[in-house]
Amino acid sequence: MAACMSENGANGKLEFFLKVPFPTEREANIALQSLSPDPEPRKGGISKSLCVSGQTLSVSWAADEARILRVSVSSFLDHLSLVMETMDAFGPPVSQ
Amino acid sequence: MTIVIGFEGSANKIGIGIIKDGEVLSNPRRTYITPPGQGFLPGETAKHHRSVILTVLQEALDEAGLKAADIDCVAYTKGPGMGAPLVTVAIVARTVAQLWGKPLLGVNHCIGHIEMGRLITNAQNPTVLYVSGGNTQVIAYSERRYRIFGETIDIAVGNCLDRFARVIKISNDPSPGYNIEQMAKKGNKYIELPYTVKGMDVSFSGILSYIEDAAHKMLSTDQCTPEDLCFSLQETVFAMLVEITERAMAHCGSQEVLIVGGVGCNLRLQEMMGVMCKERGARIFATDESFCIDNGAMIAQAGWEMFRSGHVTELPDSWITQRYRTDEVEVTWRD
Repeated sequence: MAACMSENGANGKLEFFLKVPFPTEREANIALQSLSPDPEPRKGGISKSLCVSGQTLSVSWAADEARILRVSVSSFLDHLSLVMETMDAFGPPVSQ
Repeated sequence: MTIVIGFEGSANKIGIGIIKDGEVLSNPRRTYITPPGQGFLPGETAKHHRSVILTVLQEALDEAGLKAADIDCVAYTKGPGMGAPLVTVAIVARTVAQLWGKPLLGVNHCIGHIEMGRLITNAQNPTVLYVSGGNTQVIAYSERRYRIFGETIDIAVGNCLDRFARVIKISNDPSPGYNIEQMAKKGNKYIELPYTVKGMDVSFSGILSYIEDAAHKMLSTDQCTPEDLCFSLQETVFAMLVEITERAMAHCGSQEVLIVGGVGCNLRLQEMMGVMCKERGARIFATDESFCIDNGAMIAQAGWEMFRSGHVTELPDSWITQRYRTDEVEVTWRD
């Protein structure tokens, strides 16, 4: 995984970017579809967007406070880990 | 033939069940148990569920003797419940639905209880009392909705019981409600408590505050025992539940009562409800702890009914919701 942090980006927000490579494009899309439906539990102060390009899942965050950002990134990593474990245990995906 | 796998983890129990045409093929479950005096918090509960969910999933498939290809639909709890645990379970359900190429179905937790209760007991058109740590509702089916005739206006009855268990430091294993029930059997003295029925609705927060105060005062001066308080709390809150259920039965002309949800395990509640039903010439239905308590099979069963009548949840719409009213669901599988 590759990640970078930028302070006081556009709009004066804290930003965080994460890129997660998957073995196949299909698996990257499965992860995207599993992780994107739920909005952030917290109203305001944090936003997150996910997209897939090829075999890479990209996630970007923008937050008002470092604490909020840390909680959201940490939670996302837990969920990402669970998706990966699920794919390991019950994959590979059936052919479409 | 339709086989549905159901994922449930809206509170401190994580379960996965498999249903095939009205038959429960498997239903493994784990409970997150906290030390006496403590309730379970969303973050810790989600962590517990994450640590065991794939093991439970494998158990469910193994016990059912099925492979992923045999499953027709993946059902999960869309809500209501605790946010973090709901998300954890939904993520696994979404992932396996995609891995296996199966449709996904978001189920309302309350309707899961009702449909499992109907399946197991064969109740036809009962007035439903749904009582648990998170919900207290009196429900009757009418014109494609499970309609809420009465409910708690603050905390669920199970929440009241669980919090009282914390006050007197009762063990949470196997559940605080069960331990209150066992202690109540040894209670002798009835302590008068507020009786707060409000028409078809009920309120439990005042009773909880009152008995918390009573516990501190009366136990420190040996005016009564913890068993007496457990006995008194049960007699009061269960009588309230019986009253609102009877009122709903009278309004609807119902001849059946079905008790679902974790508190529905309580034999004293079943007994009190049974007495009321007998006096009315009605029938009472209840399930045992396999199905009263949150489980995956109940989600699979509601999912089975929904899937066969045309419900499917698209992935972008598969978000969980902490609040999901019972009457929001269109019941297309009943007349």
